[in-house]
Amino acid sequence: MATRNRTLIFRKYRDALKSVRVPTSSSPSTSSIRGGGGGGPVIELASTSLLNPNRKYAPLSTEDPGNSSKGALTVGLPPAWVDVSEEIAANVQRARTKMVELAKAHAKALMPSFGDGKEDQLTIEGLTQEITGLLRKSEKQLKRLAAAGPSEDSNVRKNVQRSLATDLQNLSMELRKKQSTYLKRLRQQKEGQDGDDLEMNLNGGRSIIDDDNLDDMVFNEHQMAKLKKSEAVTVEREQEIQQVVESVNELAQIMKDLSVLVIDQGTIVDRIDYNIQNVATTVEEGLKQLQKADRTQKRGGMVMCATVLVIMCAVMLVLLILKTILF
Amino acid sequence: MVLVSAAREYVNRMLQDISGMKVLILDSQTVSIVSVVYSQSELLQKEVFLVELVDSISKSKESMSHLKAVYFLRPTLENIQHLRRQLANPRFGESHLFFSNMLKDTQIHILADSDEQEVVQQVQEYYADFVAIDPYHFTLNIPSNHMYMLPAVVDPPGLQQLCDRIVDGISAVFLALKRRPVIRYQRTSDIAKRIAQETSKLMYQQESGLFDFRRTEISPLLLIVDRRDDPVTPLLNQWTYQAMVHELVGIHDNKVDLSSTGKLPKDQQEVVLSSEQDAFFKANMYENFGDIGMSIKRMVDDFQQVAKSNQNIQTIEDMAKFVDSYPEYRKMHGNVSKHVTLVTEMSKIVEERKLMLVSEREQDLACNGGQVAAFEAVTNLLSNESVSDIDRLRLVMLYALRYEKESPVQLMQLFNKLASRSPKYKTGLVQFLLKQAGVDKRTGDLYGNRDLLNIARNMARGLKGVENVYTQHQPLLFQTMESIIKGRLRDVDYPFVGNHFQQGRPQDVVIFVVGGTTYEESRSVALQNASNSGIRFILGGSVVLNSKRFLKDLEEAQRIAKSSTNVV
Repeated sequence: MATRNRTLIFRKYRDALKSVRVPTSSSPSTSSIRGGGGGGPVIELASTSLLNPNRKYAPLSTEDPGNSSKGALTVGLPPAWVDVSEEIAANVQRARTKMVELAKAHAKALMPSFGDGKEDQLTIEGLTQEITGLLRKSEKQLKRLAAAGPSEDSNVRKNVQRSLATDLQNLSMELRKKQSTYLKRLRQQKEGQDGDDLEMNLNGGRSIIDDDNLDDMVFNEHQMAKLKKSEAVTVEREQEIQQVVESVNELAQIMKDLSVLVIDQGTIVDRIDYNIQNVATTVEEGLKQLQKADRTQKRGGMVMCATVLVIMCAVMLVLLILKTILF
Repeated sequence: MVLVSAAREYVNRMLQDISGMKVLILDSQTVSIVSVVYSQSELLQKEVFLVELVDSISKSKESMSHLKAVYFLRPTLENIQHLRRQLANPRFGESHLFFSNMLKDTQIHILADSDEQEVVQQVQEYYADFVAIDPYHFTLNIPSNHMYMLPAVVDPPGLQQLCDRIVDGISAVFLALKRRPVIRYQRTSDIAKRIAQETSKLMYQQESGLFDFRRTEISPLLLIVDRRDDPVTPLLNQWTYQAMVHELVGIHDNKVDLSSTGKLPKDQQEVVLSSEQDAFFKANMYENFGDIGMSIKRMVDDFQQVAKSNQNIQTIEDMAKFVDSYPEYRKMHGNVSKHVTLVTEMSKIVEERKLMLVSEREQDLACNGGQVAAFEAVTNLLSNESVSDIDRLRLVMLYALRYEKESPVQLMQLFNKLASRSPKYKTGLVQFLLKQAGVDKRTGDLYGNRDLLNIARNMARGLKGVENVYTQHQPLLFQTMESIIKGRLRDVDYPFVGNHFQQGRPQDVVIFVVGGTTYEESRSVALQNASNSGIRFILGGSVVLNSKRFLKDLEEAQRIAKSSTNVV
């Protein structure tokens, strides 16, 4: 792939022209130039150079020495929302590092160990809570990025939102996947221990019902013991499932909110030219809406007052008539 | 692959070394160039948070100095003027200028002059000056395409503009591939000769330093041909997926606009058909309509199964699995709806315009002989009420192109009948076509009836019978490619430019069709490349034609020709 760099030639021309340029409006500088007098200096240069081809202009001391710093001047302070977006990005980064830790903790907990494994469970729970918290906080902050009103700035904000939303969604999906694989493996391990019992209990449950249909309910001791054991196991499983459900719900909520923002790849919304067209039309439409709102607002106040007063007068009149009729 | 990846690589390089939030400023041409190879989500990943057009951005007064501006423009006069204004009143922190083709020194001078605030950090030439719609197919989207049919005296500056754009596009392709080719052109076409000579001058004299790449043993071949050598292909109705969508609805920059065809849900009004992003499309773009129906049915069945299993959520695990696979499910749903909508639309159009009947006759006219039977068939179809005007016009044109010399009386009868049946038909259009692309003007053996070998081949084919009546036509390009593969492209018909010479067969061939390519031809190229003949073909054109566009170009050219003769 061939390319060609023209920067050197460009800089050479630029420096050459700079030394020839009329330095009148260069220092009252940036504001006036941006104000639209940009055409000015260029025209002056052309005309003066035509008139006085031989006069040499010594560079005035009023000219800023390092003109590249002028470029730096124009790199002004970014608007406030950029800070919010940077915060979200930092949170996402933090969540990512925590995910790595979580993966390690998962692996450790799954390894057969002599201890109770309770502390592993606690660390895992703690990490998961932290990550979910970070994701939720980021998502709330993301909502703040949404801007009102059509303007170029709002397009930038929308796009920043989209990009962060994609990152967040990917993170939450990763988290869920890790969680579900971990739980599956955990359940496999546990079932290895009392899976047979569970099966028997299930079958036992069914056979109890069958017996009911055939005989009268007679719970003998054996069946009672089985019942109690299965109850305990069920309670434990329920707790685990409860945890999973909670995290699933939370993450599903986050994903639902995010999926509105995230772009579907491969669709028309993912095309650059479609977005440019859309921007043009939404800006125009936004202008129309603003004008309409302006108009209705101007009219609205008076008209509403008048209507309210008239209605009240009418109501009072009716009451008066009623009063005279009845009394 | 190579064109798409080259364009992507250019865009990547533009964005990667610049840190921080960026705004990408394009012009109306580079928007197409970038949109077909880069998606919005990829731009967001590279921290490009705003994309604007260079002409509309001048109107806004907001200053966004926390953004860095990346300009990617064609080096035209208007763009330089826009840039001048913007550099004089810079709205962004830094500016990085990338041009899609070579800058003249005067242009750099103008830019340097207006950059008083020194916001420009770099000026580079990144030669992505072509729209890479498919891996081996590029186009230039030239609006004034019809100029190629007019003699140079009619509008010299307009024709020069067209030639310049084509030369720019072709040189950009070779710069992106980092090769310098040997150039051949179609002898009977003046414009092909002109473009070949100008390209050769650019690559070997004016900018020979830029094109001086490491020489491989055999240089690649650039072959410049004229659309008028094969006017039949753009007139035919198509039955393979991509070509058919373009013919019946219209594909522009890999987008299909369905908003004019009745009520559709909002997200299906405009869809993307890109072989890079859509695996189903990639597998089926060259299949014919019947097979497409089967494939879509299979896709819908698969999708229904997935949907059913998603509805059957009973346990917590099922719920979790559903939430996990939801994005993929949504993507699949979108894809299925898109293809089903497209095929439904096309079936509707086929039904309305009785295209199966018309197309059978068209294919017959293009591939098989028999003047008397053809005349009768065309007359019958002209009388048929349900055949639309444009289809009648096409039939008469195809008949005229084939039987131009045989029985002129019957030809006149057809013209009169056409004029009486179709009120909107501009008289003389068929004659204009014959003047442009008649039997005397064509080089190639379009109907296989000049060369003994071709006649024999046709007879053999007639005896054997064809698989599918609707796709029996092979574009002339196919024969050209075969000749190149066998090393038998005749010097008499396709001479070399200047003192170029090539011994042996090239391994890379770029064929540029002045006047536009068709998707049927790009299909031919893709299938040829897939057959591993040792040669890689790339096809390019000034636009991508369908019959509507080809007829529009003809009408435009005829109008200009008429008005210029009136003036003279």
